[in-house]
Amino acid sequence: MQSKIQFILNRELIEVNINPATVLLDYVRSLRLTGTKEGCKEGDCGACTVLAGELSEGKVNYKSVNSCLIPVQNISGKHIVTIEGLNSDEKNLNPIQQAFLDEGASQCGFCTPGFIVSLTGYLLNEGKLKNNNVLDSLDGNICRCTGHSSIIRAAERIRSKFKNEIISSKGDAYEYLTENKIIPGYFLSVKKMLEGISNENMNSGLQNSVKKYFIGGGTDLFVQRPEEMLFTDAQFLDPEKNLKGIKADNGYCQIGCSVTVTDLLESETINNIFPQIYNFAELFGSTPIRNSATVGGNINNASPIGDMTAFFLALNSNVILSDGSIKREIPLNEFYTSYKKTARKPEEYMEGINFKIPDGNYFFNFEKVSKRTYLDIASVNSAILINVENEVITDVNISAGGVAATPLFLFKTCQFLKGKILNAGNIKEAISISQNEISPISDARGSADYKKLLLIRLLYAHFVTLFPEIINAEQTV
Amino acid sequence: MKDYDIIHHVRGESQFIDDINVPDGTLFAYVFYSPSAHGKIKSLDLSIANSMKGVKSIITFTDIPGENQIGGIVPDEPLLAENEVHFIGMPVAIVVAESKFIAKEASKNIKIEIEPLPVITDPREAFKKGDLTIPPRIFSRGDTENAWKDCDVIIEGDCESGGQEHLYLETQGAFAYPMEGGSVKIISSTQGPTAVQKVAARILGVPMNKIEVEVLRLGGGFGGKEDQASPWAAMAALAAVKLNRPVKLILPRHEDMIMTGKRNPYSSDFKIGLTKDGKIIAFEATYYQNSGASADLSPAILDRTLFHCTNSYYIPHVKATGYCCRTNLPPNTAFRGFGGPQGKFVIECAIFKAAEKLGIDASVIQKKNLLKEGDEFHYGQKALNVHTENTWSLAEEKFQAETIRKRVKKFNDENKNFKKGFAFMPICFGIAFTNTRMNQANALVNIYSDGSVSYSTGAVEMGQGVNAKIKEVVSRVFSVPHDLIKTEPTNTTRSANTSPTAASSGADLNCNAVYSACNIILERLKKSALEEIRQKDIDKIEMKDGVVYYNKEKTNLKWHELIETTYSKRVSLSAHAHYATPGIHFDRETNKGNPFAYHVYGTAIIEATVDCLRGTYKIDSVRAVHDFGNSLNPVIDLGQAEGAIMQGIGWMTIEEIIYNNDGKLLTDLLSTYKVPDLHFAPKEMEIIFHGKPNAAGIFQSKAVGEPPLMYGIGAYFAILNAVKEFNPGKEFKFSAPITPEKVLMNLYKSSESDKLPSAKGKQLETA
Repeated sequence: MQSKIQFILNRELIEVNINPATVLLDYVRSLRLTGTKEGCKEGDCGACTVLAGELSEGKVNYKSVNSCLIPVQNISGKHIVTIEGLNSDEKNLNPIQQAFLDEGASQCGFCTPGFIVSLTGYLLNEGKLKNNNVLDSLDGNICRCTGHSSIIRAAERIRSKFKNEIISSKGDAYEYLTENKIIPGYFLSVKKMLEGISNENMNSGLQNSVKKYFIGGGTDLFVQRPEEMLFTDAQFLDPEKNLKGIKADNGYCQIGCSVTVTDLLESETINNIFPQIYNFAELFGSTPIRNSATVGGNINNASPIGDMTAFFLALNSNVILSDGSIKREIPLNEFYTSYKKTARKPEEYMEGINFKIPDGNYFFNFEKVSKRTYLDIASVNSAILINVENEVITDVNISAGGVAATPLFLFKTCQFLKGKILNAGNIKEAISISQNEISPISDARGSADYKKLLLIRLLYAHFVTLFPEIINAEQTV
Repeated sequence: MKDYDIIHHVRGESQFIDDINVPDGTLFAYVFYSPSAHGKIKSLDLSIANSMKGVKSIITFTDIPGENQIGGIVPDEPLLAENEVHFIGMPVAIVVAESKFIAKEASKNIKIEIEPLPVITDPREAFKKGDLTIPPRIFSRGDTENAWKDCDVIIEGDCESGGQEHLYLETQGAFAYPMEGGSVKIISSTQGPTAVQKVAARILGVPMNKIEVEVLRLGGGFGGKEDQASPWAAMAALAAVKLNRPVKLILPRHEDMIMTGKRNPYSSDFKIGLTKDGKIIAFEATYYQNSGASADLSPAILDRTLFHCTNSYYIPHVKATGYCCRTNLPPNTAFRGFGGPQGKFVIECAIFKAAEKLGIDASVIQKKNLLKEGDEFHYGQKALNVHTENTWSLAEEKFQAETIRKRVKKFNDENKNFKKGFAFMPICFGIAFTNTRMNQANALVNIYSDGSVSYSTGAVEMGQGVNAKIKEVVSRVFSVPHDLIKTEPTNTTRSANTSPTAASSGADLNCNAVYSACNIILERLKKSALEEIRQKDIDKIEMKDGVVYYNKEKTNLKWHELIETTYSKRVSLSAHAHYATPGIHFDRETNKGNPFAYHVYGTAIIEATVDCLRGTYKIDSVRAVHDFGNSLNPVIDLGQAEGAIMQGIGWMTIEEIIYNNDGKLLTDLLSTYKVPDLHFAPKEMEIIFHGKPNAAGIFQSKAVGEPPLMYGIGAYFAILNAVKEFNPGKEFKFSAPITPEKVLMNLYKSSESDKLPSAKGKQLETA
């Protein structure tokens, strides 16, 4: 299995015939670009972070990605930047590198290139993204030596030195960044180079054939089965640009399956519906994972603990399936049939999901507890969408992850609450009902008893967060 | 001063093992390991794997020309399993192939049949069966039996501290290539080049001079590459010799986590007796160390637990008993602190419980019992230049302990959903290998005829900045700038018989050796200079900023000219020197002596906030007054302290190693084993340098690598104090790490249902 892939790697146009499921990390290291390191090969350490620049509306937009999880097919037509592509042509250090040196933010050095790349990604997006926070931009990088304090100091130094200037820089921010030696000058000619790359792989159209795997961002499949992916019959969804949009239409919101978590966070439509979405979504994976991971992937991998799944379950979403000609919709809360199994037929792929845009006096909240708050898989997660009119709960949808073999919609709990007065007594009773809907197991993320207790606590947390005047923590004991 | 290593790091140009440009014909190895924790190998079928395209050889113990033995302290560990397997992850065969992909795929086709034997994962169970790797160890002083009657309160209890994965970002690995005459050169990611050399020589059945080991740098070590880098290097060497081809062996992360040992988990019993005002009279403890399947470094780790069982406190009557319990887990090993943290955790638990009983704050007991100048440790050494009480009072004063106390109380009175807690954590840590003979080092210094300098020592750079410190010594002695000095890779042909870079002593030992070597050359240069400037008194010669001074007067003789002329006179510009730490000794029969060159002290205050609704927590601040001596490099020393503290906090909080009853590691990936990330770092981290000169250290400095890790123990008690605020009646089971799970269970379960939930209990009992 070979495919011809064209992209720009640092300063150079690359055209290569390669197995499209080769992960980018292996490819760049095979070219002796060894500044990109293999630390874990599952997107959990960030030592392999690179930037992927993509042409969009006449601009090159850069995102940090885990090169260990991104198949080279997904970089077709993009600009890939490794640490070598950030080094200045002279031997001196760029301001980010200098800040790391001055603050002692590098000890053994193995994680360092990844941090430098991520921080560059932060500066490249300053003034561009709604959610661009210097420390969050490093949430996908792990350092085992420094304890991160010196890295935080270096990052803060960079932020305070450049943030406002970038935002206020007239004209192209990239020009400002090259003038200040944060990125080498060749970045300014990348746009032209990318425009010259033929996009023959784009929108080839999904074939009406049984595929064992559909690969979205690859952030789950390449963790679970990287070797198998090299020799399997798979369809890459990334080139299918028509699967990427987020649309609001007729009171419904439709999200293409290839929409990434970052796309979601940046979407005007989504932010209008959920103004606090970033507070929830910053708990989904890490910046580089969110830059690659897709809504379709998270829903289809059918993990009982998928964060996006819990989010969309509470929105009463529908899954749109297609076999290339015939489309059908099924409610997400009927999509999961058993552990890691879904109602999708082998010949179908997921086009996207839709949900009715909440209206009236609605409240939304998402809760997640994991061993580590950031870049960790939940022990239990849950989302709630609740409508309250005149102290009466007119509608409520609650999801729960990590407490059964599949992601759950808490039907009975919701049923009980519908039409009830919103008060501490009813909340308590509903939560005790929820305990009969779940069947958690003990694993590395917690014992069954813990998960039971944790769900109780997270359900309380929904109400304490949304309705602090109705119930507080003391009343939940 | 610039650290040149970092300049390469930030440009991604520093080379680690996997980055070395390997020659054509290099083969790649993958290690096939036991899928069972204990059993007899009934059959091993390599036929399918062997027949796969690209597979060059599959090596088993029968291919070992020398002795199939890698045990360092006790010879109890084969390189490759012979008839039995003792843990999941125990190496059985080495698959060598044309690519790492093929090697791994081939290993999936190896069939092994194992007849199961009983699996023990709990150290107390191993102890009951008498399965110890070495005889019990007892350190004692005074008479605890008689002392109990003098105590107003006696408290007994037990506690557990968990293992810890090193998670060096660079996994274990080595690259070996055959040289002529049966020699091998190994480039290894090891803290102990000599250990690799010894093990490889033993496996290959050749004298040590046939093995050359070189180390560029490590992508982190933390003790995990002190002894446990050796097997992979020996395997690469074995394959290289057998196939006469270069062989690279890098463990993928998952395999590294499964196959290598971790910080030893401990289960311990304690008994502490105090007067009613909190003076500790007697302390007894029994430590059941989970050693894993073989001794590895565990006996030495146990000793350090016994040395540090009283932490920073003076206790008249002490009895500490330790057992190295053999279990069917990967052999546990060195990890920053080396048993010290495990020992300190127990005494702090005892003090916490005693404080509850006495109805006073734990800090009252801690403060009252701090070591004083001249106090004798229970192992016979006198505590000198003690910085316990002064770092404690400085911490109280500089960090405004009273204000913290009031602020925390106010917060807790006003908040229902969140509670805060804080704790003091004093530390005292002995510097030296407790195995006296290891306290030696040697160094080679060359000055080339153009005036440039290179040095080579046994020190291994792993991010701790040892080379920047050594360079500073060279620079100070010769008075030349750093950029004139080159650090050579650590190599056994330049520095032989070296001790591993470990025990926080890498800088002390190697700086001293380099210091001697430089001074040998400096003496020759001075003689030479005297002749040049036609003067007599060598004591009046001085090098300053690359120029010769005589009697404080600048001369015309510059560094480069002096070197050139000294060379012309046929005087050696190279020197090799040796250093042995003076004044240390220890009798392993009586367990008394003067094992440490000196001690490092300090006091930290740690604050945490618990989200009582969800059972999660944040470490708000770590503030410490730490005894650095006269720091050779404050940026490096601060980084060491901050990094160690976070590792200690990680060990105490979210880093949870879970094995199930079958000895299978459940936290075997970075997605299930979580170390602190950037968001986990406390908002405030303040380290005050308590910089009192240390006569026993190079240029009055102090070792720094391990001691600050133990401040992390304070995080455990800070969280526990916050939980107590929410659930005051609760009696805690001391069990670290205090994961969000344990916090939630302690917040909402009453004392009666104290046992951890059943299913998890099953897993954790074994961990």
